[in-house]
Amino acid sequence: MTLLLLTAVLVLAAASLTLKRSVPAITSFAMMMFLLGIYYIGLDAKLLGLFQIFVYTGGIVVLMLFGVTIIGVEFPKAKTRPWAAASALLVFAVLSVLFLRAVPKLQMAADKPVEDIHLFAASFSDMVILFALIGSSLLYGTVKMAGMLGARKSKNKRSWNV
Amino acid sequence: MFSIEMIFAFGLFAIGLYGVSSGRDFLRIFFSLEMLLNAVIMMLATSAHYLGMTENIALAYMVMILATLEAAAGVLIFAVTNKLTGAVIPDEIEREELS
Repeated sequence: MTLLLLTAVLVLAAASLTLKRSVPAITSFAMMMFLLGIYYIGLDAKLLGLFQIFVYTGGIVVLMLFGVTIIGVEFPKAKTRPWAAASALLVFAVLSVLFLRAVPKLQMAADKPVEDIHLFAASFSDMVILFALIGSSLLYGTVKMAGMLGARKSKNKRSWNV
Repeated sequence: MFSIEMIFAFGLFAIGLYGVSSGRDFLRIFFSLEMLLNAVIMMLATSAHYLGMTENIALAYMVMILATLEAAAGVLIFAVTNKLTGAVIPDEIEREELS
């Protein structure tokens, strides 16, 4: 059942990139995210699954719908790069081989329980700093974009006056 | 079962990588970026379940929040770029148009 679910996830992911019309592509993308949420619930990570379905999928799909209002019903034709598929296949093969070689070590490490409860707490402060940096860079990008838009608007106004 | 599920996650990562590097329109690049991050979340959740690494679930929440932030910022950048240049494909944007 899980394998069927994961196969459907991969098929829907590929469909969302290959479909020519934007609304079916968004629908298959949303279905993919929904099935991933079901998969997490099946893994006993119920809260993660519910978060994935209700918060993540909902939020992202609304944002993508906003993108559809700009793009239109059909995706524009773009030049595709022939090496993209080859590089993706290469990364897949390398990751799979490296992972399969590391599986015994991972299982050995999993058999030894880590008792140090402060381990995550210590790295949590680093993560807070990381998130603050990411947040500030996003804010900087937003302000910069708003500035560029304002400059463009005033330029357009001047050209209208002339 | 753990190995097979992880290989499915690598497959999702590869599809996302293909979408990002194939140079299409903004929307499909966003789809692909979300797929990349979803593959990472999937790897974290699978390893948490099969290897007992429960701290990975907390990390998965963080990646999820990061992905939502990234999508919001990305759509904003797309909207502003489209307003400035009228382009929907990143390769078609001229540097002069943005300055």
